[in-house]
Amino acid sequence: MHKESEIRDPLILGNKTYHDITRDIARPVEGKANKYWWILFGLSVALFLWGVGCMAYTIGTGIGVWGLNRTVNWAWDITNFVWWIGIGHAGTLISAVLLLFRQKWRMAINRSAEAMTIFGVIQAGLFPLIHMGRPWLAYWVFPIPNQYGSLWQNFNSPLLWDVFAISTYLTVSTVFWYIGLIPDFAMIRDRMSKTISPMKKKLYTLLAFGWSGRAKHWQRFEEVSLVLAGLATPLVFSVHSIVSMDFATSVIPGWHTTIFPPYFVLGALFSGFAMVETLLIIMRKVVNMEAYITIKHIEYMNVIILFTGSLVGTAYITELFMAWYSGVEFEQYAFLNRATGPYWWAYASMMSCNVIIPQLYWIRKIRTSFIATFILSIFVNIGMWFERFVIIVTSLHRDFLPSAWTMFSPTFVDMGIFLGTIGFFFTLFLMYSRTFPVVAQAELKTILKSSGSEFKTRSNE
Amino acid sequence: MSKKILYAIFDDDEVLVKSVKELRSKGIEIAEVYSPFPVHGLDHALGLKETRMAITAFIYGCLGLAFGGLLIYYIMISGVGKSWPMNIGGKPNWTFYQNMPAFVPIMFECTVLFAGHLMSLTYLFRNRLYPGATTTSPDPRTTDDKFLMELEIEGSDVEIKKILTATGASEINEKGNENE
Amino acid sequence: MKTTKKYWKGLAQLNDDPIVEKLAQNEFVEQLPVDEFLGDQENLSSTSSSRRDFLKFLGFSTAAATLAACETPIVKSIPYLVKPDEIIPGVANYYASTIYDGRDYASVLVKTREGRPIKIENNGTSSNSRVQASVLSLYDSARLRHPLKENKETDWNTVDKEIREKLGNIKSGKIAFLTSTILSPSTNKLIEEFSKNYNNVEHVMIDSTPYDGILDANMDSFGVRLVPTYSFDKAAVIVSFGADFLANWMANEYATDYVNGRNPKSGKMSKHYQLETNLSLSGSNADKRIQIKPSEQGYLISSLYDAVQGKDFDSRLSHIVKALKSNPKKSIIISNSNDKNIQLLVNAINQKLGNYNSTISIAKPSNLKQGNSEKLNALISDMKNGNVSALITYNVNPSYSLEKANEFNKALQNVNLKISTSLHNDETASLMDYVCPDHHNLESWGDANPKHGVYSLMQPTISPLFSTRQFQESLLVWSGKSDYQQYLQDFWMNKGIDWNKSLHDGFFDMKEDKLKLKRFVDQSKSIKSSESNLIELEIYETIALGDGFQSNNPWLQELPDPITRACWDNYLTISATTAKELGLSNWNVSNGALNGSLVDITTNEVTLKNVPVMISPGQARSTVGMAIGYGRTKAGKAGDNVGFNAYPFLSAKTVNISKVEGEYEFACIQLHHTMMGRDIVKETTLSEYIKDPSSGNHRETYQTYKGKLTADKVSLYDEHDLETGHFWNLSIDLNSCIGCGECVIACQAENNLSVVGKEEIRKSRDMHWLRIDRYFSSDMTKKLSKEEKISAIDMFSEMEVPSENPEVVFQPVMCMHCNHAPCENVCPVAATTHSNEGLNQMTYNRCVGTRYCANNCPYKVRRFNWFQYSDNDKFDFNMNDDYGKMVLNPDVVVRSRGVIEKCSMCIQKIQELKLNAKNSGQPVKDVDAQTACSASCSTNALTFGDSNNKDSKVWSLRNDDRAYDLLDHLNVRPSVFYQTKIRNKA
Repeated sequence: MHKESEIRDPLILGNKTYHDITRDIARPVEGKANKYWWILFGLSVALFLWGVGCMAYTIGTGIGVWGLNRTVNWAWDITNFVWWIGIGHAGTLISAVLLLFRQKWRMAINRSAEAMTIFGVIQAGLFPLIHMGRPWLAYWVFPIPNQYGSLWQNFNSPLLWDVFAISTYLTVSTVFWYIGLIPDFAMIRDRMSKTISPMKKKLYTLLAFGWSGRAKHWQRFEEVSLVLAGLATPLVFSVHSIVSMDFATSVIPGWHTTIFPPYFVLGALFSGFAMVETLLIIMRKVVNMEAYITIKHIEYMNVIILFTGSLVGTAYITELFMAWYSGVEFEQYAFLNRATGPYWWAYASMMSCNVIIPQLYWIRKIRTSFIATFILSIFVNIGMWFERFVIIVTSLHRDFLPSAWTMFSPTFVDMGIFLGTIGFFFTLFLMYSRTFPVVAQAELKTILKSSGSEFKTRSNE
Repeated sequence: MSKKILYAIFDDDEVLVKSVKELRSKGIEIAEVYSPFPVHGLDHALGLKETRMAITAFIYGCLGLAFGGLLIYYIMISGVGKSWPMNIGGKPNWTFYQNMPAFVPIMFECTVLFAGHLMSLTYLFRNRLYPGATTTSPDPRTTDDKFLMELEIEGSDVEIKKILTATGASEINEKGNENE
Repeated sequence: MKTTKKYWKGLAQLNDDPIVEKLAQNEFVEQLPVDEFLGDQENLSSTSSSRRDFLKFLGFSTAAATLAACETPIVKSIPYLVKPDEIIPGVANYYASTIYDGRDYASVLVKTREGRPIKIENNGTSSNSRVQASVLSLYDSARLRHPLKENKETDWNTVDKEIREKLGNIKSGKIAFLTSTILSPSTNKLIEEFSKNYNNVEHVMIDSTPYDGILDANMDSFGVRLVPTYSFDKAAVIVSFGADFLANWMANEYATDYVNGRNPKSGKMSKHYQLETNLSLSGSNADKRIQIKPSEQGYLISSLYDAVQGKDFDSRLSHIVKALKSNPKKSIIISNSNDKNIQLLVNAINQKLGNYNSTISIAKPSNLKQGNSEKLNALISDMKNGNVSALITYNVNPSYSLEKANEFNKALQNVNLKISTSLHNDETASLMDYVCPDHHNLESWGDANPKHGVYSLMQPTISPLFSTRQFQESLLVWSGKSDYQQYLQDFWMNKGIDWNKSLHDGFFDMKEDKLKLKRFVDQSKSIKSSESNLIELEIYETIALGDGFQSNNPWLQELPDPITRACWDNYLTISATTAKELGLSNWNVSNGALNGSLVDITTNEVTLKNVPVMISPGQARSTVGMAIGYGRTKAGKAGDNVGFNAYPFLSAKTVNISKVEGEYEFACIQLHHTMMGRDIVKETTLSEYIKDPSSGNHRETYQTYKGKLTADKVSLYDEHDLETGHFWNLSIDLNSCIGCGECVIACQAENNLSVVGKEEIRKSRDMHWLRIDRYFSSDMTKKLSKEEKISAIDMFSEMEVPSENPEVVFQPVMCMHCNHAPCENVCPVAATTHSNEGLNQMTYNRCVGTRYCANNCPYKVRRFNWFQYSDNDKFDFNMNDDYGKMVLNPDVVVRSRGVIEKCSMCIQKIQELKLNAKNSGQPVKDVDAQTACSASCSTNALTFGDSNNKDSKVWSLRNDDRAYDLLDHLNVRPSVFYQTKIRNKA
């Protein structure tokens, strides 16, 4: 079985036994919510409803209620879309890529990270839908045989690639997630007593699909997880590459850039991990998971953020260099305009939040502090939102013909919808944190002996 | 002769594996083992065959790739393309290979889509897992921290019980009269 | 053998039971108790309906409710009971007619569909945006629908009765006609006859912008009070002192002549000097533009006169003098001044240069301007003294458009009988006793004599929409006759005109001998320069609204001014320097919309409060300009309270300007005024062009395995076949385009473009498929920055600032119909695809509105329907109005909310063309191929055609050395291409 160096810090604190793990993971589901949870939940639901209102208004009246115009035809809608998709990426990366790399520390957090992925992608999916002029015809983007005979989609269009990429991503990561959930649901099912909480018992029996943990099933389980991880890894890279192609395949200076796919994927992981941190630091408090989500996990993620952040920074510089090196006046102006034009403040906040601030993680003290990490992760989230805003709006608002140049400024509806999706996201996540086993306990038990503090201390004696 | 089913419960995975090895070396067949988490090395100890989930995934993947390719070929190039030739941005809509680069993303996505979903379905199907199915584990604690070994024996079980206790089984129950 | 089998239905029948017979008679053996049940009333009423009944009712009402719920669209349409022979549904009829509203004259073809005029086409002559838009004014729901008496509706009989008796009772006082310049000989005759019936009738004509200066000067010089006709095509040198002859000065045909005189191919290209205050359309097309104050004009003209007499002159004129000297008898000097002395000087100069009878003809004069301010002032004073007992106005709105409107209104109170024949209950009409609403042009009969020997006829193209009556008809009725149509016909047939042919053609020429002129005598006095540091005001007219006669026309209101690119407004134009001195500024708010500071304008007579200033390059220092035609109060929902009324300043020379608090919101659709050093409008000079026709048209070449090639020769993959069949191309000659915006209106009329209103324009959501970009030159250039080592950042920021006196270029931009269209590739639902005739087609009903195509369009010509623009009270323009909707072109769908739209190259016209060709069994003729814009263009800047046809005009233009694709480095292969602009400068 898996051996681990003694000097490594334990991943599971407190003298936990298998049963303790079971109890701790089941507690949020069985117990009552604490007041933090209720406060957050109320807040998110309120935001969510506000967003729903704004969406209804948009669909009822027309896209004109946003701040868009003949030159800037995308702004907050697609910015938010890319932002949410990006956030989605860390989850799959943690559960898939880290699984392939046999990173044991992922086990405490991958469940929640994946949940975040799915909820994030749901938010992202909303935007392509409502940003349409006629959303009630959205189904036209799927290749459904129709009475018009030869009326089909255009497979040259990156937007159609998006449709396939995102629906695949959403469904596959959901399946991946659920396969992992089944044994844990079974655990909860078996703890539920028929007499005290019959409804819950029924519910979890249903969710557990009748899992009974036979040796053969476990064998298949592990193989399937491995293969799904193998599938999800290229998927996660492909999805954001394709999203980036929405821009890269166009002709607009500032969009038409070959560096976009890797650059976007990195940015996605970057922002994704930031969001994971934001969520986990909240979650470990509201559902008392301090023993399982330790500073060690946070530190590992901080290292990844530091790494990807620096790479993203490199990408920014490369863009500028390529613009100058290409010798194309339109390219050159586009990037000059980003940095010094009317939207310089967006570019500045992007640079400072994404490139400069994460450099603080070189300092161990900051890297290993929950408070600092929480604050910095918020900064990164903001920075990444601005990155997308900069790419989309500042490239569009001044393209080829100066006669068409103009500016963009959001309306309350733009903002309302964005806040709404944030509310929706947290609503889902908080509900999840109270009804799902938030840690993959079955997997976690496999590393208890190797990384549990108790066993470590014992073997150190 | 009456058939008897024994349930030996262990508290620790390593102990379980040892005992499994012990029993099998003595030529005693183990019907099934229920554990709260995948116990490494157990499948070898039990002498389970390699699972073929990965192979199915590969097949499904190929299927998806073919589907994606054909779908696009039908819509953009052949049939429809011919019956209603669409000139989209001057792209060559009469050859697949010239227009290929634009089709790669979707063909890839189709591959993953098929592989991922169909394999998972097969997995559920082979494990008899479906909404509403009930657990077949004799002891609910097997999803918590207990490891249960199921043996089918004929004749006397004294010998086996001895070995089991020796190899560290915490409880040994017979089907029918488990002591609750 | 014959069968005798008998089939019986039952034993009863077999043995002939009577019941069989009985049943055969009556299926109910017993009488049903119907009467019992229904017969007795109170029994019926008393019966409480049973459960079954209830269920029946329930069932019925549910069904009824369901049926009621599925609403069927109400389509107001009435079928022809007897179909008129000439009307074939779906086929357009064209009628030759004339548009004249007292301001703009044009001989036109009116396109009618199912009996509705929907479009104005040029009848081989030139028109302008107002003429093009006048078809919408026909359907103006603000028009009067009945005659009015004291602003109350009434009927014609009462009006006529009362008017006739009131006119009859007039003893001493005058009966005065106050009309616009009248071009119609028959109308003049009518007024004569009218004055025979009633004693001392006086007829006063006025022009909204007076031309007395030039008229009186000609009276003195030649003895005729008329304006000459100019042949700008014959002139080698054109010197215009402030006269905007390409836009609003005199006749709109001058633009056509001007461009015909500037064809670089023939090497014959006039040299155009413009000395002006406001940057006018003419000024922006001039080869050399000199900024002067209005007060300097007189002095400069007189100095020019000195120059041609060989005396010494102002150094600023040196170039001009040289040019004039080297082109005797082939120049034109004009001035917009309304000062007789200045015009006398102009006449003297033209005489001295021998331009009369070569480029200027007074012997064959123009009749377009005959207004007489002296007579008007006399009339007003008469009215004051009560000497006028009846006033009849026609085609004029003096209470709005007179400089001294208040004085006129006061005087009006002393007139006993006040009659207006206005179409609207406008500022003047609302003060009148009677309003006898006139027909719109398109409902009227008429004739016109715009210039010596040239005549055109006006015929109705729709039966009157409202209970209105033509002015001429009213005259006839009031003098006891009737039927103006007959009158008109007789009038001309007596002159020996082939009525039917002329009516069909819309015009006819008549041999008329030249006017008798008295020998030219030079009465000019030289004018000294007068130094003043006051701010001087120059009033101008916009290309869109002119004198404001059509203020209620939303098309014109939303037509951006070619220079400032602002619409829905007038404003005080001011130079950047002067603005800085006065602490005035323009700025863009966060969404890009333009705002400006406010000022009060005061002269010793009038003040105008809170007028916005628009900083406009080219405006002479310490001068301001302001457009008339705005600030209407009784025009209608579109025209009311738009902008400010500048008429009171008509003859104001200097004004005081004081900044006031507050800011003003403009609707300006172009934020950036310079080309930022980009190769967008390619231009060269005549001398360069003669040396090398492709000069200024440098095309980047790229290294390929086939050697160096231009972008359009390089492709990644095999091309679609565009050689077979048609390949529709459009050539835009930037040298011929004067930026007048006529095509924009034509496009709007042809393609049912929606008007979106000021607020949406502010949000940069204009819906024009065709826009005319205007670029100013900047002092900062790439070359300069290299020489002076200026950093890129500074260079670009300085490039955004236009020069003080910039060179101006206009560039019409519509969908380029790229054959490698970026927009087509990115549409997920294939809503925009390419036709094999080279057109980029937009399928509205497939569009889901992702707007990706609009983002990916390098030219930004795609327009998105942000809202439902038709039948929406938030956009209360012609598409939300039952009358306004009658102008819609049935061949073009009205786009719904949430879809992208764009220029279709008038696909409906192309299809019509091909159908006609097919029916007539002949190949498509190149001359017939027209888009709305190319057809309307008075200067033939746009040429449409099939460039697969080797002898088509567009093919030769495609292969011209001047031809270039906009942004050709993108290699999108546009079907629309441009011809380089050529300036005739040293």
